[in-house]
Amino acid sequence: MTTGGEPLKPLSLRREGDGLRIDWNDGVSTLATWRALRKNCPCATCNEEREKPSDPFKVLSAQEAAAGPPTPTGMKPLGHYAYQITWNDGHDTGIYPIELLRSLSEVK
Amino acid sequence: MNGPMPGQKISLPGVKHVIAIASGKGGVGKSTVAANLALALHMHGQRVGLMDADIYGPSVPLMFNLGVVDQTKVPFPIEQYGLKLMSMGFLLDPNQAVIWRGPKVAQAVGSFLAQVPWGELDFLVIDLPPGTGDAQLTLSQQAPLTGAVIVTQPAEVSLIDARKGVRMFQEVRVPILGIVENMSYLTMPDGNRLSPFGSGGGKKLANEIGVPLLGELPIDPQVSACGDSGEPIVRKLPDHPVSKSYVDLANTIMNEMAKRPTDGGLPQVQL
Repeated sequence: MTTGGEPLKPLSLRREGDGLRIDWNDGVSTLATWRALRKNCPCATCNEEREKPSDPFKVLSAQEAAAGPPTPTGMKPLGHYAYQITWNDGHDTGIYPIELLRSLSEVK
Repeated sequence: MNGPMPGQKISLPGVKHVIAIASGKGGVGKSTVAANLALALHMHGQRVGLMDADIYGPSVPLMFNLGVVDQTKVPFPIEQYGLKLMSMGFLLDPNQAVIWRGPKVAQAVGSFLAQVPWGELDFLVIDLPPGTGDAQLTLSQQAPLTGAVIVTQPAEVSLIDARKGVRMFQEVRVPILGIVENMSYLTMPDGNRLSPFGSGGGKKLANEIGVPLLGELPIDPQVSACGDSGEPIVRKLPDHPVSKSYVDLANTIMNEMAKRPTDGGLPQVQL
């Protein structure tokens, strides 16, 4: 919630360097790196992966190996509450609620 | 009908307000409320559509004296009693069960929204199935929902599930316009009121979540008799006290909509 009682809402979102610049309706401007957003993907598969011990022998798929650092190829609003990001490694099941986008961003 | 791609936002440029009639609980009268509310809005001079999103158990054909239609001869939406209607029941025989998994339901709901030419409407009323599943999620993500009306009975057993519906809409940031308490009371022949499901449940829920109680609708055998005969009570018996309650409810919702600023939704991302 903003101080005026209105729900927190982004006013504009744009690529800036290696991240996402968001101007919010409470007057704050934040930057979320693509790496932080990809690492904290909230989809069920990624949540499950994060709970497992890391696998040093994990073999990347050809698409993952070719993708390089995480960067979005698409990002679209869903209803009034979230954004869905499609990543350059082909992953697209993460739905990022507004509050999560804010918590993964830093005021810069 | 092929639906839009999952997650694809659906635009309804000619529709001013899209209102979902919902409840976590089945059997509380959502379809009856949706049909009569849509007709009451129409009686106020509004252009209204009614979309039956209950894919497994559509009610609109029966309540509007319609059945399966030949899609090659009758264009959707079907017009009846001044409303534009769409329902799974226009496509399938009522004795045929829809045995579908969630993604198919989501696809059908998306198709009803995106592929039916709703045209210019003041209100598109969406009659949701019970629960917080695929139909609800598809609508929350893809439809330009203006708000949701939660229908409940006064009994705690109904409130438990209504709260779940409320939480779902809060989670996906769809504004809750208010609570409608259905089956609130029965007026006895001596004029006294009997409350077979208890009383005050709707008000209690409205107070809990800080939204208005939009109305308390009585139990009356004529409500279901009219619905079953294919002409909802608001149209068949417009002077009946229940019909007047619906007309008041429609008025309250119109006033509520007029007070709310138009929300353009979330901004696009410049990548």
